[in-house]
Amino acid sequence: MKKLTGFLMVVAILFSFAVMITAEEPADEAASTTTDVSAAPEAAPIPDNADMTLGMTESKDVMPATFRGGDPDSSLVHCLEDVYYEKQEHSLIYKEDAGELAEGAKFESDPNITWDTKVKDADGNWKTLTSANTNMAADGGKFFAPGEYQIGNSGARQVGGSSGADNEAIGEGTDPTNEAGGEGNTDTALVGEDGKTEADAKTVTAQQSMGVQVHDVTSPDLWVAFQEGAGSVDMAATEQELKSKMMEKIISTLGRPFSTNAEDYEEASYMFVDEGADGERDKEPFDKTARLSVAGALFNDRGAPKFETKTIESKTLDEESMTRQVHVSGGEKSALKGVFVRRNVPFIFAAMAVDNGDHRAKAGEVACRIEKADGTEVEKDGNSYLFRVPNFPRDNYEDQPEYFFVAKGSDKAGNLTTIRTPLYVVNTQAAFEGGRNQ
Amino acid sequence: MKRILTGLFTAVVVISSMVSAQEPQAGAPANLEKTPWLKGVQISPYPVDISPVIPLKIYAENGEAIPATLTEDVPLTLVADTTIFEEAPPVEYKGQQIPNPRWEENPAISWFFIDWEKNKNYMASVSEPLAANQMVIIPTTPTGKGAITCHIARRMRYDLPEPGRSKGTFANSSGAKDVRVLDITPPLCGLEISVENGGSGACWPVENPPDKYPLPKQADVYLSGALFNANDQDILLQGLELGNNMVVAADQAALQVSANDKLSVKVIGGDNYKLDNSKLKFGLCNGAGGEPAPVGPVNADVIDLSKLKLPEALHLYLDATDVAGNRQVMFIPVIVK
Repeated sequence: MKKLTGFLMVVAILFSFAVMITAEEPADEAASTTTDVSAAPEAAPIPDNADMTLGMTESKDVMPATFRGGDPDSSLVHCLEDVYYEKQEHSLIYKEDAGELAEGAKFESDPNITWDTKVKDADGNWKTLTSANTNMAADGGKFFAPGEYQIGNSGARQVGGSSGADNEAIGEGTDPTNEAGGEGNTDTALVGEDGKTEADAKTVTAQQSMGVQVHDVTSPDLWVAFQEGAGSVDMAATEQELKSKMMEKIISTLGRPFSTNAEDYEEASYMFVDEGADGERDKEPFDKTARLSVAGALFNDRGAPKFETKTIESKTLDEESMTRQVHVSGGEKSALKGVFVRRNVPFIFAAMAVDNGDHRAKAGEVACRIEKADGTEVEKDGNSYLFRVPNFPRDNYEDQPEYFFVAKGSDKAGNLTTIRTPLYVVNTQAAFEGGRNQ
Repeated sequence: MKRILTGLFTAVVVISSMVSAQEPQAGAPANLEKTPWLKGVQISPYPVDISPVIPLKIYAENGEAIPATLTEDVPLTLVADTTIFEEAPPVEYKGQQIPNPRWEENPAISWFFIDWEKNKNYMASVSEPLAANQMVIIPTTPTGKGAITCHIARRMRYDLPEPGRSKGTFANSSGAKDVRVLDITPPLCGLEISVENGGSGACWPVENPPDKYPLPKQADVYLSGALFNANDQDILLQGLELGNNMVVAADQAALQVSANDKLSVKVIGGDNYKLDNSKLKFGLCNGAGGEPAPVGPVNADVIDLSKLKLPEALHLYLDATDVAGNRQVMFIPVIVK
């Protein structure tokens, strides 16, 4: 028994030595210089640069590598737009002691640290979005738009005191003040604050980057326009004409209503569902809202032109993929009572959407239609829609079918904006513009 | 039995320590008093995954070495010499093979000028098209200790041992060139004047356009306050040559005082690098232009006009020189009522 115990002790001690040796190896390797270092037997030269590590600080909002079908080996970090993230980096040049860079080396300054955020443009080139010289190795911030980003950390520090920096003075700059009769342009005038020229110190750099895929969690902005063919309004010949008008406006206003004056909606009535005004945009996904605005004469039974706007909810559509949905459900208890069209007055409609996924640069057509309560689509009567029998007020026309206007816009990420609102046919005859029904 | 248990316990402890020793080393906790920049940093400085660092050297456009002393505001086209622009990433780093390495993206490049005396950097950018490895640096801040740095990152991918799998990472390349930047901008000093029991006024130059090159530098001179008859609106004199002969003409603006006034005079402003305080002079002088001919005391905080024999072409003057020898001499006419 004693032999067994003794044997175990010997094995344990041998393991301990092995572990100590193994543990020291990676640190030595990591501390080794990376570039341009020629072997110098007497003293280690200061390297030009050093390794750096960089990562997003752990948080529940850092999405897994496989988020939304991500490649787990891509090393991309998956984040959500409008969420605050913290990132951190480290390098031998940020340590207290420069000894790991080169034996006998000393830091001659604090580090200079810059955080860059670059975004990929249409040509695949990286453009600098922000560059912050914080001189701190941890930083925080938000990504305000979906897309592919590159976070870069550029570090530098003055290092001296080893076998000397490869920092030879090569010539002198031309002094243009000589011609102008300047005096005293001597080198001694350019010494550092501490009175030394720092000729034996050199700038050592470090650099690391991190690819970040920022995911879209904002529902698209959706516009619907209704245009009647009655009165003095010059009805668009086709839906395509109306769409072209909308496309121009929705891009130029980045999805926001193009006017808040009811008078500007005499030609057509609009329903806007968008991310909201400046203070409402870019809210964290969990607090996101949207804004419904209705403008024109077709959103009340009196046909009175108006512009009304209200904040509405944005709900999580799918917990796993973090997609969201804004749904406008019209009706008596809703901010949107319904769409009120006139009996025997032809009308057309069109829906268009923009998304923050491409910075609202392009507008896309949105599927929309009128359907009955059972989901059956109501067809056009020629080039436009036309209802010959009123169905409003519902109590008076219970035998007439209920109609609904439905629209569904989605972005590439699967965020949705949907509308399902009653569409009423009002018996207004020609008195619609007078603000009363017959 | 007790010994067996002791032996087994020892073995378990040792094996546990072996397992933990194989994990990446985080290093000792940072001393935030000495390294405050590490606040909030928990990661190790030692990379775990492959992320090759590629050497980078910075040269002048013609391939020659960068002068150790640059001149303020003089553009310099630089070239980054690094293999990160080559067709494929390195196949080995620190003795570790990188199987089938290939680039995934274009390089992302940042150039900076660091003023080590202020520990502040300035990002360089150009609007005109240049080769990817080129940049124009305009050192706008004189310094005795500065550096040009270039940082490049490029996304790459390499094969993993498992068939069909590959991993993304970044290759990085950075380098620096230590330089000094010679100050060529004269001081931008002004004067603040007040009269005992009376009004006050101030005059000061503002470099405009800023960072102008080639020389000469230019400045606009502002004059304000009751003593310059500029109570409601500052007087602006545009386009004076910033240097040793900044003369304000009497029909443009003048300091208006009485023969018995006591003037308190204070120097305002400074230099974009360092003022040579031993050469700073101000006071009253006879005439404008050239070397000032002082009338009365030099560098006096208070000038009692009643005690001076005042010449006809009385001027207030300011003579300032920076440590690089750039000199500003400004003359302001004085009208004595």
